[in-house]
Amino acid sequence: MFQDFAYLIVLLPIISFVLTLFFGKKFPANGGILAILTIFTAFIISAGTLSEIYHGGVVEQSWHWFAFLDFGILIDPLAAAMLCMVSFVSFLIQVYSVGYMAHDPAKPRYFAETSLFTAAMLGVVLSDNILQFFMFWELVGLCSYLLIGFWYRKPSAAAAAKKAFLVTRVGDVLFLAGIIVLYLNISDFTVPDGAYLLQFQTMFAAIEHIPPSQLTLITLLFFGGAVGKSGQFPLHVWLPDAMEGPTTVSALIHAATMVTAGVYLVARTFPIFLASPDALIVVAYIGGFTALFAATMGLVMNDIKRVLAYSTVSQLGYMMLALGTGIVVGAEVVGMSLFHLISHAFFKALLFLCAGSVIHGLGLQDLRQMGGALGKMKITGITMLIAALALSGIPPTAGFFSKDAIIEGAYSYWTHTGDILPYAFGIIAALLTSIYIFRLWFMTFTGEPRTDYHAHESPPSMTVPLVILAILALGFGLAAHGAFGGFIEHTYSEHLIEEAAEIGGHHLAEEHPHPPPILFYLPIIVGVIGFVISWLIYSKRIFNMSSIISSRNPIYRLLLNRYYQHQIYTEFVAITIVHRVLSLIGEFIDRRIIDGIIDGISWILIMIGEVIRRIQTGVVQHYAAWVVMGVVALMLFLFHEGGIL
Amino acid sequence: MVPLNYYLLLSGVLFAIGIYGLISQRNGIRILMCLEILLNSANLNLVAFSSYHGNSTGQVFALFSIAIAAAEAAIGFAILIALFRVRDTIDLHNINILRW
Repeated sequence: MFQDFAYLIVLLPIISFVLTLFFGKKFPANGGILAILTIFTAFIISAGTLSEIYHGGVVEQSWHWFAFLDFGILIDPLAAAMLCMVSFVSFLIQVYSVGYMAHDPAKPRYFAETSLFTAAMLGVVLSDNILQFFMFWELVGLCSYLLIGFWYRKPSAAAAAKKAFLVTRVGDVLFLAGIIVLYLNISDFTVPDGAYLLQFQTMFAAIEHIPPSQLTLITLLFFGGAVGKSGQFPLHVWLPDAMEGPTTVSALIHAATMVTAGVYLVARTFPIFLASPDALIVVAYIGGFTALFAATMGLVMNDIKRVLAYSTVSQLGYMMLALGTGIVVGAEVVGMSLFHLISHAFFKALLFLCAGSVIHGLGLQDLRQMGGALGKMKITGITMLIAALALSGIPPTAGFFSKDAIIEGAYSYWTHTGDILPYAFGIIAALLTSIYIFRLWFMTFTGEPRTDYHAHESPPSMTVPLVILAILALGFGLAAHGAFGGFIEHTYSEHLIEEAAEIGGHHLAEEHPHPPPILFYLPIIVGVIGFVISWLIYSKRIFNMSSIISSRNPIYRLLLNRYYQHQIYTEFVAITIVHRVLSLIGEFIDRRIIDGIIDGISWILIMIGEVIRRIQTGVVQHYAAWVVMGVVALMLFLFHEGGIL
Repeated sequence: MVPLNYYLLLSGVLFAIGIYGLISQRNGIRILMCLEILLNSANLNLVAFSSYHGNSTGQVFALFSIAIAAAEAAIGFAILIALFRVRDTIDLHNINILRW
C-alpha cells in the first residue's frame, strides 16, 4: 500500500520547499510546521515501504520523459534503509530547528532550503538510474551551498559556501565524466523492453560487456565524485569549513544528507566496483587513510564544531574502508558500511545537535572557554556522553556494532591478502577517535567554568530530539545488528556479485576467520584506552599538557595548522597555480588573442566605413548622378544578359 | 505620319538634356525646370506609343502625369522659397548639412 505512494517521498518535501519559499511568512512557525509535517509523512511512507519489502521484493516505478532521460524510483533494501534514516533524522533536525532558529529573521528561507536539501537527498536515494542520481546529486550540492552560506552577510560563511561548492564541483565533474565513459561503453548494449540504458539494473547486466580497464576508469571516476561529496582525502577540505552555517545545517550535512551520498554512490554501484580489478583497493586505502588523517586533526581543534567535522570525515573514511574490503568479504560490506552509515547518522546528528544546544545555552564555541556545563545542562550533557560512547565504539552502543564489523572486515582483508595497512589505519583511528571525542566532552562538561557565562538548558523542542536520538544511538545497534546485514544483502543477487567478482578477478572468501581474542577485543580496548587517556588528561589533569600543547612542538603545530592544508590548497594550488598561472594565461589568451581578433575585425570595418561614408556628401546632384550611373549600369547588365551587347 | 522612332529619339534627347541639367546645375529653380523636362520626355513617350498603338490609355496616363507634375512643381517651389527665407540662397551646393 505504501509503495504505491513512493514518489511522494521526494515530492512532498519539494512541495514544502515551494510553498515555504513563497508563502513561508504566513505559515505557522514560518514554515517550520509544514516542513516537519511533509518530512514526517515522507518518513511514514519510507518506513511503510521498508516493512512491505522486508520479506523480499523491490519497488520499481519508471516514467519515460524524453530522449535519453527516464525518471524512475527504485526502492530495494539498500534504498529503503537509507530512506528511513534520511527522512527520520531530517525530521528530528527540523523539529530541533524550530527551537534553534527561533530568533532568526530568515526562517522561511531556512525551512525552504532544508526541505529542498532533504528532498534532493531522498531523490538521490530513490533514483533508479545514474543520470537522475546525478541530477539530484547536483541539487544536493546546490542546497549545501545555499545553507552553508545561510548567513551570507558574514564573509567567512560566504567563503565557506563557495569553497564547499567548488571543491565538491571537482568531484562532480569526475562523476559526470564517469557517467559519460560508462555511457560510451554500454551505448550499443541492447536493452530489454521497458528498461532504460542507464538504469542500475541494466548497467549491472552490461558489466561483462565492458573491458576491465574501462571498468576501473569508470569506477575511479565515480569514486572521485564520492570523494568530493563524502569529504574523503584529498577533497575533504570543504567539510570543516562548512561549520559556518547554522549548527542544524551542519547536523543535516554531516548526518542525514550530503556526505552520505558519496558512500551511497559506491554502495549503489558496488557490483561495478567489484568487477573492476583495482578500484576497491583504492577505495579501501583512501578510506582508511582518511579515517586516520582526519582523526589526528580532530585531536587538536578547539572549536567544538570543528572537532565534530573532522570526526565526520574520519567516520566516512571508515565507511569507505568497509566498502573497500569488499574484494575479500563480498556484498556483505554494503550492509556493514550502511549499518555504520546509519548508526553514525544517529550519533553524529546527536553530537551536532548537542553541540548546537551547548552553543545555544552557553553562547560559546571555543572548548577552551567552556567547562563545567554538566550542572546546568544535564540532558544535553548526558545525551552527548551517549553519543561520544557510540562514536568511540564502546558496547552496547550502535557505534560498537557497526565499527566492530568494519574492523573485522578489515581483519579479513588482512588475513586474505596479507595487507595489514587498512586494519592498522582502522585501529589507530579508533584510538584517536575515542581520545578526541572524550577530550571534547570533558572540556565542555566537567571541571570549572573557564570563563564567565550563563548557561541554561535548551527548550523542549531541542532536548526531545536529543533524547530520541540518544535512545537510537544506544539501542539501534543492539536491536538491528542481527537482521540488518541480511536484509541489505538482498539488494544484489548472489549471482550478480559472483559474476562481478569473477570479472574483477577477486576471490571472495568463503569463511571469515575469527580473530584471536586479543584482536577481537582490540576495538573495545582502544576505545576504553582513549577514554582513560582523555579522562586522565582533561578531567584529572594529572599530566601537564602545556609542554606538549605549545607552538614549539612541531607535531602539535603541524596538527593545529591542519597539515598546512590551507597553505597547500588555498595558497599554493588555488592562488599560485590556478590564479597566478592558469587564469593569467587564460586572461592573456582571452584579452590579447581572442579579443584582439574581434577588435581587429571591427577596426577594419570601421576603417572601411570611414572611406565609404564619404559618398554621402549631402549634395543632391551627387545622389542624382549615382542614381543615373546605377541605372546605366543596370541597363548595361541587362543588355549583356539579353545578348544585345 | 511621323514614324515612332523620331518621337522616341526626341524623347531620348529631352531626357538626356534633363539629366544633364539635373546633375550639372546648382540653382534649385533650374533643377526643378530640368525635372519638368524629364517628365515631359516621359509624357511624350507615353503619347507617342498611345498614338502608334491606337490605344488611348497612354494619353490618360500622360494627363495624370502632367497633373502630378504640376503639384510636384508647386511643392518644389514652396520648399525653395522657404529655404531662401532661411538661408538666403537656393544654391544646392551650399545646402548640404545632411551628410557624413
